[in-house]
Amino acid sequence: MHKIEVDAEVDILEENKRLAEENRNLLRQKGVIAINVMGAIGSGKTLLIEKTVERLRDVKIGAILGDVIAKDDYKRIAKYGVKAIPLNTGKECHLDAHLVHHALEEFGDLNLDLLFIENVGNLICPVDFDLGENYRVVMVSVTEGDDVVGKHPEIFRIADVIIINKVELADAVEADVDKMVRDAKTLNPKAKIIKMDLKKGIGFEEWMEWLRCVLQSQEELKK
Amino acid sequence: MLLESVLKVAEKHNAKRVNLVHVVIGELLMLNPEQLKFCFDVITKGTIAEGAKLEIEVAKPKIKCPLCGREFDEVIGICECGGIVSIEGGKDMILKRVEMEVS
Repeated sequence: MHKIEVDAEVDILEENKRLAEENRNLLRQKGVIAINVMGAIGSGKTLLIEKTVERLRDVKIGAILGDVIAKDDYKRIAKYGVKAIPLNTGKECHLDAHLVHHALEEFGDLNLDLLFIENVGNLICPVDFDLGENYRVVMVSVTEGDDVVGKHPEIFRIADVIIINKVELADAVEADVDKMVRDAKTLNPKAKIIKMDLKKGIGFEEWMEWLRCVLQSQEELKK
Repeated sequence: MLLESVLKVAEKHNAKRVNLVHVVIGELLMLNPEQLKFCFDVITKGTIAEGAKLEIEVAKPKIKCPLCGREFDEVIGICECGGIVSIEGGKDMILKRVEMEVS
């Protein structure tokens, strides 16, 4: 027996990166825009997708709905007649590129314009797992406390759109919406920040405007 | 995934036992080293890496303002000069070195 030392240089997270790139290439080939919707539990992720699907009847939409165990989110989206795939992660607190890879296979020929990937409700773990998406939306609500943005810096840093939901409840829960916006801007000056109250219809048009811009740029690319 | 990578390296060198594993972890992964060590001890049980020491080195991200060139120790969004600060690295997990016993 003798001892040896080996310099390894193995990238532990490489497998996820590789699969995410594969997903991205596949989606690009098929001309599908994929949006990873992340956010806390109960922040309004599913409702945002529901309302969007309801509005965009002229767009071919698919959805992958990550949940720890239940299929409630899946049922809420599937009832609109769009192709939806429930994705139970078990005890996993986030989706990864491998899980999404298999879900993509279930869409068959991927004849879609837009794909929502609703992540598991969590502001921490999804940060490190690229799924191969084109855009990242992070949603929080004022009821989580107005310090929720500052307390989870990494997820807001990687977001393209930051949605602060339930702003109409801010007074009731004594949350300072402007502070949340300031925190988000400081962490991520490039992100689009939307103050929203989905149930009251506030901010939804702003979200639709952003989404239509994204879809339009995709259309131009296809030409 | 860390253990898998370690065992792969060990197998390649026909190791009988793994004594030490050195990993470099990006600071922005925000992993708790104590938790990682605990998990490592648990999952290595019954493998040739059981009882191996896990050495953790933390790699800092490069945080720099592209406008004025100022560098920062802490992650911030906007530089005093108004530039949007860029953050590079700090999110990798690299298995750097494995010490093992071979026959």
